[in-house]
Amino acid sequence: MLSRRQLVRAAAIGVAGAVPLAVSGCAGATSTSKRGGMITIGTKEFTEEWVLGELYAQALEARGYQVQVKNNIGSTEIIDRALKAGRIDVYPEYTGVVLQVLAKRSKLPKTAHETYRQAKAFEERRGMTMLQPTPFQNKDAVAVTKDYAEKHHLKTVADLRKLGTIYFGEYPDNIESSTGYSGLVKTYHLPNVKVKSLNIGLQYKALEKGAIQAADVFTTDPQLARSNLVLLTEPKNLFGFQNVAPVVRKDVYHRHPAEVWHTLNAIDALLTVKAARAMNRAVAVNRLSPSQVAKKFLQVNQLL
Amino acid sequence: MTYLLASGVLAAAKPVIPDYGTATPCVTHNGMFCTSWFLHQWPDVFGPALVQHIMLTVIAVVIGFILAFAAAIYAYRHNWAGPPFAGIAAFLYTIPPLALFELLVPLTGLSTLTVEIALVAYTLLVLYRNVLTGLQEVPPDIKRAAIGMGLTRTQILWRVELPMAVPAIVGGLRIVTVLTISLATIAAFVVDAGLGAPILKALQSPFNTQFIGAGALAVLLALAADGLLLLLGRALTPWARSRKAF
Repeated sequence: MLSRRQLVRAAAIGVAGAVPLAVSGCAGATSTSKRGGMITIGTKEFTEEWVLGELYAQALEARGYQVQVKNNIGSTEIIDRALKAGRIDVYPEYTGVVLQVLAKRSKLPKTAHETYRQAKAFEERRGMTMLQPTPFQNKDAVAVTKDYAEKHHLKTVADLRKLGTIYFGEYPDNIESSTGYSGLVKTYHLPNVKVKSLNIGLQYKALEKGAIQAADVFTTDPQLARSNLVLLTEPKNLFGFQNVAPVVRKDVYHRHPAEVWHTLNAIDALLTVKAARAMNRAVAVNRLSPSQVAKKFLQVNQLL
Repeated sequence: MTYLLASGVLAAAKPVIPDYGTATPCVTHNGMFCTSWFLHQWPDVFGPALVQHIMLTVIAVVIGFILAFAAAIYAYRHNWAGPPFAGIAAFLYTIPPLALFELLVPLTGLSTLTVEIALVAYTLLVLYRNVLTGLQEVPPDIKRAAIGMGLTRTQILWRVELPMAVPAIVGGLRIVTVLTISLATIAAFVVDAGLGAPILKALQSPFNTQFIGAGALAVLLALAADGLLLLLGRALTPWARSRKAF
């Protein structure tokens, strides 16, 4: 039988041993550091971003860079602040969102390329730059349930005007935006459409339950394939163009070898709508973790 | 491989789309608990999350205990220090956890440090009160007997008063450990670690197995920690056990 003193000492040693273990047990910091030090990748608060972050991180780690991922940082404005403050070095952003949310533009360019060009120019004026954009776009669209659309003969966003008071699910970032709920109401004259603030991803359940009648969704959402929804056409192209391009602080860009940015560009070049949907689907439907999904994609495309 | 076009936009390479397999009916229909999926995700998701959660908790409780223990001993010796210490600890205890995490982020970033500072802050009140009360409730007769035996103040503290206070101290540790385990799930708002991370990530497209799996692990962890501390308390106070064992 151990004496009380021995027990106390054993417990103390056990705890003292656990603490340095925990401190040294930081994830993913095992690879040898190259010139430039740790690269911190941030992601916003939804699946597509987590997959992108994992794709970048795993490919860079495989090339011997020190990488850490900070997932789920928050909305555009929050993650932009984190980037400016140096809490993260790079994060995947949507070209149209840069102009809508950060540059507060009410008028958006008429082409995807022009959107990217202006977003990059805007970021460069603030001490960041943008890498190459992805082929895929993840645009906003207005979704209603199939039954509801058939019952009320809804084809375009403007058709919502014929209804009584209805509720529109919108994510907080995009409520006041001229290219979100406010813009829709103004552009298509929809005084009968009231807004319900819902975080990204929650609008599908709300639509199914009838808590809202229409919602802002993203075109690469795998739920669109799964559930009984239709997208209303949006003739005035209010939602703009949304390719993904990583935003990097300029000091970070110059601190690391060009190989880092070539690697991210090579990954992004592979991201077609089909690839993005397949990966989103693997997370949302097969319930694989973003890191598993990213790993498999990198493996079959010989990037690991 | 990719190459730059004159316009500066990358030509799309043709990606290979991996086969991610098909989801089991349980996963597709979001059954109550899909055991095979859970076991499949254990090495990549739940196992590491559980280890991170234990680490977050152990570090917070150990540091909180060291601080609260030192403060309680000081307050026990110097009466004036009692009310201000208790006031500070009580004030920290009343801040809503999520608000405290968010308040710390500008100062210490999206880091484990932020999480630990917040978690430690919530341990202080209960630990401080329990250690101090435990010391104050040692019967005066025992103290007088110890003085009569010629023990110094320090000897009395370590050999008489603290052992007598062990049940109160362990009681405090049990409450605080269970509290920290549940609070550490909120840490996922700041760092992508612990059992809160899978819960937070499953909020967007609700998946019962992920909620229940991570939630049940947190509950089991709390029960296990509580049980271990109970046993530790008994081991430290052999004199308190019944004498029927003869």
